[in-house]
Amino acid sequence: MTDAEASRQAEERSSEDAKLLRRMAGGEHDAMAALYERFSRPLYATALHILKDGAEAQDIVHDVFITLWEKAAIYAAERGSAFSWAVTLTRNRSIDRLRSRRRRAELLEQSAPGDLGLQEGNAGTGADETATAADQARVVRAAVATLPPDQKDALELAFFSGLTQQEIAERLREPLGTIKARIRRGLGKLRDTLAPRL
Amino acid sequence: MMDEHQAELAALFALDLLEGAEKTAFEASLAENAELRRHVDGLRAAAAEIAHLAPPAEPPAELKARVLTSVSGRPIARPAPAPLPPLIPFGSLIPWAVAACLAIAALWAGRQSLNLRSENEAMRDQQHLAQVDLTLLRTRMEAERLVRQRQYDDAQQQLAEAGRQTHESRAELARLQGEVAQARQELALAVQQAEAAGRQVAALTVKLKQEGDLAQYKIATLASMLGNSPKAIAVAVWNPMEQEGMLKVSQLAMPASDKDYQLWLIDPQYKSPVSAGIFAMDPATGEAHVKFKTDKAIDTIAKFAISLEAKGGMPEPHGPIVMLSQ
Repeated sequence: MTDAEASRQAEERSSEDAKLLRRMAGGEHDAMAALYERFSRPLYATALHILKDGAEAQDIVHDVFITLWEKAAIYAAERGSAFSWAVTLTRNRSIDRLRSRRRRAELLEQSAPGDLGLQEGNAGTGADETATAADQARVVRAAVATLPPDQKDALELAFFSGLTQQEIAERLREPLGTIKARIRRGLGKLRDTLAPRL
Repeated sequence: MMDEHQAELAALFALDLLEGAEKTAFEASLAENAELRRHVDGLRAAAAEIAHLAPPAEPPAELKARVLTSVSGRPIARPAPAPLPPLIPFGSLIPWAVAACLAIAALWAGRQSLNLRSENEAMRDQQHLAQVDLTLLRTRMEAERLVRQRQYDDAQQQLAEAGRQTHESRAELARLQGEVAQARQELALAVQQAEAAGRQVAALTVKLKQEGDLAQYKIATLASMLGNSPKAIAVAVWNPMEQEGMLKVSQLAMPASDKDYQLWLIDPQYKSPVSAGIFAMDPATGEAHVKFKTDKAIDTIAKFAISLEAKGGMPEPHGPIVMLSQ
């Protein structure tokens, strides 16, 4: 697929998402169901990957769709795609919950034995994603694969772990300035690579 | 134009990694810099795509029904209303005003209904959160109970182990005390046996010494060399270890009053016989029993001799030999 075709498909996809949001703003439940079909898998996978807990991931995805429904009318397409908005909501809420859970876990860890299985999640099945979502995932993975491993690791930790800059630096045992530079270069290159599809 | 520091802050902002004053300052820059906003929007879009790196996962089927059920009847946020149009004459507005009031009343009632629903949803959420908190509290209490139970079980095991070890130690102590008593008895018996053996060894040593000494003794009979005492006989015994001897003489004539019999030992290492002293015959029995010693050390005795010397004896023999060993 050429960049032009990819760009055209991405535009069509974003346009369709924006239409669904406008219809949702008009109270159309069918539009909501259609948007759910388009977004639910990547959003659920993201929440599950961050939280490692199926029940909590379901709560997050549920709340995100409620927010999309309630705020569909104030969505501004010029500020970014609907998918980007939904992912941002999902990630932020998952990380908020993850940090809250870590604080609770730190308290609980002082008294609870590790064999209670509090950290164990119920992994979803996830083998039945749609062809479009699978195709987009392949493209993103291919783009990330072109990044140097240190940039890839820094980006993945920054996106999924809920760690602060300093915590990422400590986890990767690198100076904070190095981590910032890796994130800047990695994200910039990813944006350039995915530009036709964004 | 964007500098490198701004580009770095933009990337961190796109990933929500800015905090505190740094985040506030960057948001202020963002508000007045359209180019920076476009840059951040592009980075945010790219960052959102990272979500596709998560392992694929299929949400449960019931989640869709739950979402759609939740949104039914839920209010939708509206954009801010457009500015009002210019005013028109009051009289012509009365029918419109009545209609507007009715519409507002209807909207108010609808809004109230929606608010009540929202509040109901909020209460449900609060109830859900309370249930989560309760579950966590129960989990924590259960964890604490498990910890305490485990500590109690451990303490019980340690107590039982300590009791068992005490019992074993006492048994071991009693066994050791028995062994000590037995060892003492065996030691006393061994001491007795050693003492008896020592005595036997001493006795054997004495016996062996006696036997050895006897074997070394020089015993000789002396025959008379005189015609007036042809039946005279003497026996001389010499103990070389003690360097002393015994002489018994019988039937030897009494010497004259100015004479004494003198015993001599003939040792080849000396040129002259060695004196063993004078002796006197018992006139009643006609015998003499004499224990003698010499002034010189005797190694080997070749002969014993008795001579008749001047009263008191001589350093070397001058008188006649009256008896001589064979």
